[in-house]
Amino acid sequence: MDDFHLAILANAGLLSFLGLSCWILLVAGMVSFGQQAFFAIGAYVAAFGTVTGALPLPLALAAGLGAGAAAGTLLGLITRRLGGFRFAVASLAFAEAVRLGLDLLVLRVPGPGGGPVGPGGTDGFGGIRLLYESGTTAGGFVALIWGTLAAVLVLLTVAERTGPGRGLRMIGEDPVLAEALGRDPGRLRLAAAAAAGAVAALGGGLFAHYTTYVEPSNFGLMIGIHGLAYALIGGLGTAVAPLLGVGFDIGLLEGARAFQSYRMVVFGGAVAVFLIWRPRGILDEALVARLALLFRRLADRAPGPGPAGARPTSPQDAKEPT
Amino acid sequence: MTGAPILAVEGLVAGRGRADVLRSVSLSAEAGAVTCLIGPNGAGKTTLMMAIAGLIRPRRGRIRFDGREIAGRPAHRLVAEGLALVPQDRLLFAGLTVRENLAAGALSRDAGPAIETDIARMGQRFPRLAERAGQRAGSLSGGEQQMLAIARALMARPRFLLLDEPSLGLAPLVAREVLDLIAGIAGEGIGVLVVEQNAARVRSIARRMHVIDRGRIVHSGAPDGAAADAAVDRAFFGAAVAPAGPAPAGEAAP
Amino acid sequence: MIAAAVAGLALGASYALLATGFTVVFGVLRRIDLAYGASIMLGLYAAIWLHREGMAGAPALAPVVIAVTVLAAAYVERLCFAPHADRPPVTAMAASFAIWMQLQEIAVLALPLHTYPFPSPFAGAWPAGALGGIRPEHVLALVAAAAIGLGLARLLGHTRFGLAVRATTENRAAAACAGIDTRRVAIAVFGLAAAIGGVAGYLIACIDGQVAPHFAMRATLDGIAAAILGGLGSIPGAIAGGLLLGLVEAAARSAWGPQQADLARYGLLLAVLAAAPGGLAGIAGAARRRLAARRRASGRRVGEASAAGEA
Repeated sequence: MDDFHLAILANAGLLSFLGLSCWILLVAGMVSFGQQAFFAIGAYVAAFGTVTGALPLPLALAAGLGAGAAAGTLLGLITRRLGGFRFAVASLAFAEAVRLGLDLLVLRVPGPGGGPVGPGGTDGFGGIRLLYESGTTAGGFVALIWGTLAAVLVLLTVAERTGPGRGLRMIGEDPVLAEALGRDPGRLRLAAAAAAGAVAALGGGLFAHYTTYVEPSNFGLMIGIHGLAYALIGGLGTAVAPLLGVGFDIGLLEGARAFQSYRMVVFGGAVAVFLIWRPRGILDEALVARLALLFRRLADRAPGPGPAGARPTSPQDAKEPT
Repeated sequence: MTGAPILAVEGLVAGRGRADVLRSVSLSAEAGAVTCLIGPNGAGKTTLMMAIAGLIRPRRGRIRFDGREIAGRPAHRLVAEGLALVPQDRLLFAGLTVRENLAAGALSRDAGPAIETDIARMGQRFPRLAERAGQRAGSLSGGEQQMLAIARALMARPRFLLLDEPSLGLAPLVAREVLDLIAGIAGEGIGVLVVEQNAARVRSIARRMHVIDRGRIVHSGAPDGAAADAAVDRAFFGAAVAPAGPAPAGEAAP
Repeated sequence: MIAAAVAGLALGASYALLATGFTVVFGVLRRIDLAYGASIMLGLYAAIWLHREGMAGAPALAPVVIAVTVLAAAYVERLCFAPHADRPPVTAMAASFAIWMQLQEIAVLALPLHTYPFPSPFAGAWPAGALGGIRPEHVLALVAAAAIGLGLARLLGHTRFGLAVRATTENRAAAACAGIDTRRVAIAVFGLAAAIGGVAGYLIACIDGQVAPHFAMRATLDGIAAAILGGLGSIPGAIAGGLLLGLVEAAARSAWGPQQADLARYGLLLAVLAAAPGGLAGIAGAARRRLAARRRASGRRVGEASAAGEA
């Protein structure tokens, strides 16, 4: 595979983290326009860990993840009484506040090479070269990004089947019912905000080491809408869905090079039109349930017709008064 | 002395979400008389009222009002054509004054001095509303709110009025007052279809009765007599008894 | 000192107009139009473009801004709000966010520079330093905002259309039962909000003397911040919130600088959302209810006392 396609793969993987982060909140019924803030926090913290020589990459990424989770918890606490659009507005304000804060953040410290390293406000934060200096190839980088992404996907898919995971989905679909069934929406939403912050921050840490240079304007609203759109387009039915959204965007970008400068014009319009057609995304809950059923039937049929296929009608059906 | 029906519903199927609440409903109501619709909780009374009033789009069936097909038309158009609904939870504009609520009831009509005259007339008909003209509707008592809801519907000058459980939550004396008012409205030539859960009270003012149970009309006819009593009993107590214990098939009603 | 206060109030007046736009749309539709600022930005960019092409003089720019903003809003309504009328409100909001990015990009593609000067209608007509340094653009903003506020109060309080808007805001289902065409009311209010936004955009551009791509975000966030500060859905709240935000921002700017002032604004918005999501109107409403309850309680006490006296 050539460098061009590897770069596309790396970008797709990195953007998927942002899409997944938005997806976690969307499942809980929260629309966030601000997950780029956690992407930024993860990037800055992880990069600061490695440029100062204080931390090896895994620990630096973990530190970024922790910072993202903490910031997510903070946003969750600020917004714990807010629903719907007020949460969305708060996430937008939070992200812009973080970006403006990074504009003002100048923290130059002496690095291992003697020269000053660290964030330089609007001048950006460069020299995040740990992986390049250790001789990681482009292919190795892509493997690192997608390996981490796969691990996150597995974790999310497992988490979705646990009690809190189901509770989260229930809150997104019917908060009143969820509360009536004894789910605590406040705590679950807080957990979702923290998890979403952690996932975005992990992607941000990888992003910083991939590009070697980040600046606050990397984390503006443009990238935020992309993350949200990936989750919306992909669908709310399964954690793999945001990747579909990323594929849609990159396919659109690469498939229509002529439109390059009109990319946002096409993409914005496409998202709006798409939402009319499928308000809960391509892989929405109904489609995922149908696919799962189909898959189970195929699996059942494979070893031959068993007792599962000839399930007797339930006795309740017979008793139902007509 | 029964005239031709001003409202006729035929084979109406409607529901909210995926399930059909109404499974082929047919009924009719006359102008200038009270027709009552009686049935237990969950029988589909409110769904039927909302479907007739244009707040729910029916899936199948016909609704004819004054000879014209109206199924699927939006509520605001029907109000302008003379078919108004007083919904179950009264749905007043709680933050607007009593007077503004009345004026809002006439927004489907053309502007003109007749509206002021009608507001004054409502004040004579409902003296308690006249006293509270400048007060917020949300501060009224339950009975006054029901009066205002009916008065607001009358401001549209309807030829037919749909009333969904007008006595719900009212003290017996106030409920009696509301029923007298409904009888008076019918006396002015306006057709009324009123939903009630408490069958006995409303049957005394109705000329015709329909009994609804589980999405179907199970009885239509005069509001009194042995057949009517039996239909009401079956709808209420039949439905209430069935889930409690499985009745042997042989003992089911003939 | 007076000039600085007038400047802060003028800025606040334009925020109050933006907040009014958000609040009336929210009242009727229970939805937020995130593309509001971008629609206004498109209006401003269209006016600048026409001016640069020599097709519109400085005095003709205000109607151009308003007309293009209303057209853009009509597009937003058709694409993002009409199709999602029966869906959760966040779907329409997400769609309007996507269209925000689209409209902003269209404007930037037409005029790609970092900033564009916006011609003032008063160029050369006002001697510098007159009236103690008060700028004519500030006076225009205050006069225009006051006129719109009064006109809006008259429209909503004393016309049949206004009654329909207030009734729909109170209770959409009840409005439909009362024979009000709520769809038409919603579309009319959307257009009204766009026209008000166009005026606000024109005033801000005159005050700033220039327009830049970040206008869309500034207008949207300033308007939402002022509307939430005042209490979303309340027009008096929107006006109070706008004026307060303008004064706070003018003070923060002169004390700390523009970037820090922006940061302070987002901080204020987050603090209000966290502490009092109902805003000033919510606080005022709670105070009114408490007062009424106290009055009732004391009335009861008086009643009891007199009853005791009779006994």
